[in-house]
Amino acid sequence: MKQLGYKTLALTLAACVSLAACSGTMSGADGYSEIPDPFEDVNRVTFQFNEAVDKAVLEPVARGYRAVTPGGIRTVVSNFITNLKSPIVIGNQLLQGDLEGAGNATARMVINTLAGFGGILDLADEGGIEHEPEDFGQTLATWGVGDGAYVVLPLLGPSSIRDASGMLVDSYADPLRIYLFNVEEEGWHYARVGATVLSERERLLDVVDDLRRNSFDYYAALRSAYYQNRQSIIRDEKAVGSAGGPEIPDYDDF
Amino acid sequence: MTKLGFLSLAIIASTSTSALAFDFGKVTAHYAALSSHNSVYVEVSDEVEVKELTPSEAFIDTMGKTAVSFLANETLSQDQKRAEFEKLLKKNYDMKTIGRFALGKNWNLANDAQQKEYLKLFEQMVVDVYSQRFDDYEGQRFEVRASRDVGKSDQLINTVIIPDSGPEIDVDWRVRTKDGKRKIIDVIIEGVSMSLTQRSDFSSVIQRGGGTIEPLLEHLRSR
Repeated sequence: MKQLGYKTLALTLAACVSLAACSGTMSGADGYSEIPDPFEDVNRVTFQFNEAVDKAVLEPVARGYRAVTPGGIRTVVSNFITNLKSPIVIGNQLLQGDLEGAGNATARMVINTLAGFGGILDLADEGGIEHEPEDFGQTLATWGVGDGAYVVLPLLGPSSIRDASGMLVDSYADPLRIYLFNVEEEGWHYARVGATVLSERERLLDVVDDLRRNSFDYYAALRSAYYQNRQSIIRDEKAVGSAGGPEIPDYDDF
Repeated sequence: MTKLGFLSLAIIASTSTSALAFDFGKVTAHYAALSSHNSVYVEVSDEVEVKELTPSEAFIDTMGKTAVSFLANETLSQDQKRAEFEKLLKKNYDMKTIGRFALGKNWNLANDAQQKEYLKLFEQMVVDVYSQRFDDYEGQRFEVRASRDVGKSDQLINTVIIPDSGPEIDVDWRVRTKDGKRKIIDVIIEGVSMSLTQRSDFSSVIQRGGGTIEPLLEHLRSR
């Protein structure tokens, strides 16, 4: 069973990565690239479905969560969840050859787990070691794998072929998941996934509201915002500053 | 009580050893900073005061401080705040460049009258959108961190918005100096350019609406 699982994963991954590697990024007007979206029709259907689920379940629950918990508690929850992801972050930093990043992530895990009461306090951040999100999709990107195409995953939302493959790898390789499955405590694994989704959705409440309210074609606006944010995370911009956005011409003719 | 005391002592002891054991250069220094909070804050505030702002940084800094000063002013009504804010936006944003960029190559699809109407509606939209955003103001602090040159005559000013709880938000302002005047031409929040996002949105509306500018104008009119 486990063997089969890994085999399927390897096959899916190989298929995904080769697909991603083949299709380059499309260069938009003014030379700024937009993510290609050849499956737009299918994506829009999935998107409608996700929107319906979000409005019926996820968003109201996230709003409820925000209403009943003080900000401090939500920070504690989010710190704890982030700390649990440390092994994945460290692993990916190493795979990307970012030794300083791996060192920082390790230091964060040690400090926050031991002095931060099991990760509920982010003391490392207060001391100047910021959290840097890393995942296997980013690792593939640093290895030169292109995005492939934009995909909207059912329930999970905006992604790309490359990043969806990365997500699959991260969740398979997550030591905590493997441990919880081995000791037959799957319940905790699902509880953690649920908590992560809820915490993340709460964090995005304002951003999503804003984009929904201020765009005419929310699908297109979200696709663009997702892709730009993703690019900026891949470039590790927390450390080096933003790339400055698109080049904006000097319009003289009016 | 003693138990708790012992526990925290044990934790402190174990972290200091681990901090030493994991000598990743920075860590020990950071840990030292952790144990004396005061010195951290003193250092930070010193840094801010000592640092000379470049003219473009000062431009953003002044704008941010002006915005915060009237947003936090409780004697002003919501409408007054909006009016102030609108003035600030019109003064500091190069609406024509932003609007032009948001339309991209589709600008050429529009005739003169449509271009004129578009720019007028676009400006109104930007004012509405940003006023809405600032309605949600809840005492966040605003800080200019750094800047650098980008493109031909632009500067990118990196700022952070610091809420009471939760993570800081990175906001970069692209400022263009033209005829000795500084204007904002793009706002980049957590790596997401507002202008580019808007352009993707508009171009999709135009494309799906049959390749003319009219569906977009229709959307803008009915906002």
